[in-house]
Amino acid sequence: MNLILFGMSHKTSPLEAREKLALRCGEAGESSTGILGIPGVKEAMCLFTCNRCEIIAVGDSPEAADGIRDFIADTGEFSAEDLDRFIYVHRGGDAVRHLFRVASSLDSMVPGEPQILGQVKEAYRQCVDRKSSGMLLNRLLHHAFRTAKRVRTETGIAENAVSVSFAAIELAKKIFGSLNGKTVLLVGAGEMAELAARHLAANGAGKIFIANRTYENAVRLSREFLGSPVEYGNIGEKLGEADIVISSTGASGYQITKDMVAAALRRRKNRLLFLIDIAVPRDVDPAAAQIDNVYLYNVDDLQGIVDENVKTRVAETGRAESIVAEEVSLFAQWYDSLEAVPTIVDLRRKLEEIADGEIGKSSWLRELGPEENEKIRQLVGSVLNKILHGPVTGLKEASRNSGALPYIEAVRKLFKLDDSSSEFRVSSSEFEENAEEVKGEPAGSAASGRSESREDN
Amino acid sequence: MDILFFKAALFGYLLSTCGYMASLILKRVSAARISAWVLLAAFVLHTVSLGLRAGGAGLTPAVNLHEALSFFSWAISGGYLAFQLKTRTRVLGAFVSPAALILMLAAASGLDVISIPESLEGGLVAAHVILSLTGEALLGLACLAGIAYLLQDRWLKHRRVTGYSRLLPPLGDLDRIGHICLLIGFPLLTFGIAAGSIWAGSVWGSHWSWDSKQILTSLAWLAYAVLLHQRLAIGWTGRKAAVLSIAAFLFVLFTLIGNAFFRSVHNFV
Repeated sequence: MNLILFGMSHKTSPLEAREKLALRCGEAGESSTGILGIPGVKEAMCLFTCNRCEIIAVGDSPEAADGIRDFIADTGEFSAEDLDRFIYVHRGGDAVRHLFRVASSLDSMVPGEPQILGQVKEAYRQCVDRKSSGMLLNRLLHHAFRTAKRVRTETGIAENAVSVSFAAIELAKKIFGSLNGKTVLLVGAGEMAELAARHLAANGAGKIFIANRTYENAVRLSREFLGSPVEYGNIGEKLGEADIVISSTGASGYQITKDMVAAALRRRKNRLLFLIDIAVPRDVDPAAAQIDNVYLYNVDDLQGIVDENVKTRVAETGRAESIVAEEVSLFAQWYDSLEAVPTIVDLRRKLEEIADGEIGKSSWLRELGPEENEKIRQLVGSVLNKILHGPVTGLKEASRNSGALPYIEAVRKLFKLDDSSSEFRVSSSEFEENAEEVKGEPAGSAASGRSESREDN
Repeated sequence: MDILFFKAALFGYLLSTCGYMASLILKRVSAARISAWVLLAAFVLHTVSLGLRAGGAGLTPAVNLHEALSFFSWAISGGYLAFQLKTRTRVLGAFVSPAALILMLAAASGLDVISIPESLEGGLVAAHVILSLTGEALLGLACLAGIAYLLQDRWLKHRRVTGYSRLLPPLGDLDRIGHICLLIGFPLLTFGIAAGSIWAGSVWGSHWSWDSKQILTSLAWLAYAVLLHQRLAIGWTGRKAAVLSIAAFLFVLFTLIGNAFFRSVHNFV
């Protein structure tokens, strides 16, 4: 396969090196055009994220490979030694496999994170805008998107939260169903609590109360969240209103006691109450969990869920890899048949042209009736089919066994097929349909983790 | 003809039950999603079957035992499917579909018996049977939702949320299903009992004969009345409501299978 891929990822290189390369390359589309200028490169696409730089090009000649390597070395100002250490090179089927794995988020720090697919789509869009992609890359990228979609829907790799704050959101959904209009109470502030509150708000939570020992801080935070500040002493009262409580004070001793929760529950007519205690030492008396309709999770519980989820994701990578392998072989099949099909079409057209030409020249045919004319045409047609049968099946068979190239060359030369041009194109309708896909993220995955893992940003 | 559709529906319930079981074993929601469509197909076939039976014989399609069980199964599936439309109830079908299947299997055993006393023909009997059965089916659905609630509650309390807990609907949704089923099912049951009582008064001369089924029914009715009161007035939600809902339905179950043990005016059902 006429493909080459150069890349450096979080596994092979330090962040500074990738940063430098990405910064100096500028926009992905721009650098794609730059690489297109290298002799021997027919199509090119660049992908830069903070966890990887990938350059994939059509054109596997030694000069193309050297050209791209020099491009990377020059742009990133890498020494030859560094370059060898940072860079990996994949060719042909391996390049396809690598790209599919990247798009499916199998090569990410946290497998299954959803952002990388969007980033690959964006890079591809830029490269389409700059017209640096051609037939092969178009097909390859669309195939990569399809693979990623399959991996996402057919395996559990993208399911379940892998960060503490998202695990809390998932639990809240598990308890309440919809979070629409649910009231949130933040007790104390802290990065994790604020993050969780932000996620809750993004998921439709309604009112947010903020309590802090320092009232000014509560006021400041409530401006940020469009919430209402609460006097620290009134927590017990607000427990009656809030459905989700996130506590993260730095205080020693329980800030929310069992009695407070029990009293609140009576006031709230036993509506479900979800207490999230992410403070160390703990803020909420663990005994509160014994009360009916109260669900209490501390930071260790949440971390335990996250660990379990990461394990599930890793366990799913096996299935994902086999999907990738399947799709790589499908792509290889398409690639191999690629050149046989137009040749078969050309060959048939050539023979039909000859036949039509000869029939047109034979003036004696016009003296016969239309019925006889039709019969003669049919006869000629079936002779053509008989002649074509052998070569066509031979070509198809050879292309299935990946050995079509020499036959194709011979047929094209012997029948002088290359006088008239016949280029294989991706039909426009197919392209538009796929372009649609580039824009639209798969709905389920995006909601569950877009802002969750900052991987591949 | 209606029997052919009945058998097709039975097969559909079997398929959807297998699908839901597969969903539980594989822990995949996708299998449950397909099963929901299979369940819908079975429900449609079942509807046709009941329609043909009613149209063909000019009868209430729910008077003898076969018909009553079949109708019960139809109502419970229909109720569940309605909820499936509104909420993402996911694998709750794994509770409902087997229940429908068992009812259908029981119904299938009495397939050929179509004999009812002439005295039982008439609008009031039809109303009595259809209202009671629909009400009971909804309350049955509430019971299944209650069981799912208790499981989910247990898992959430013990922080075991990475396994089967994922498959079951959220607590809030389960509680809402139980609540709505009660709000609709209880009045239906009440009207059903009232219709039967009025009919009994006009034909047998007495509105209430204290047979075993009636006693059990009144107990169940009382339990549901208490539950409704607690839910609406006291604000019971969650665990307690689920427990009472399950307990109350046990009485209903006894009324349904009690005829096997006691003699009663409801012996034909």
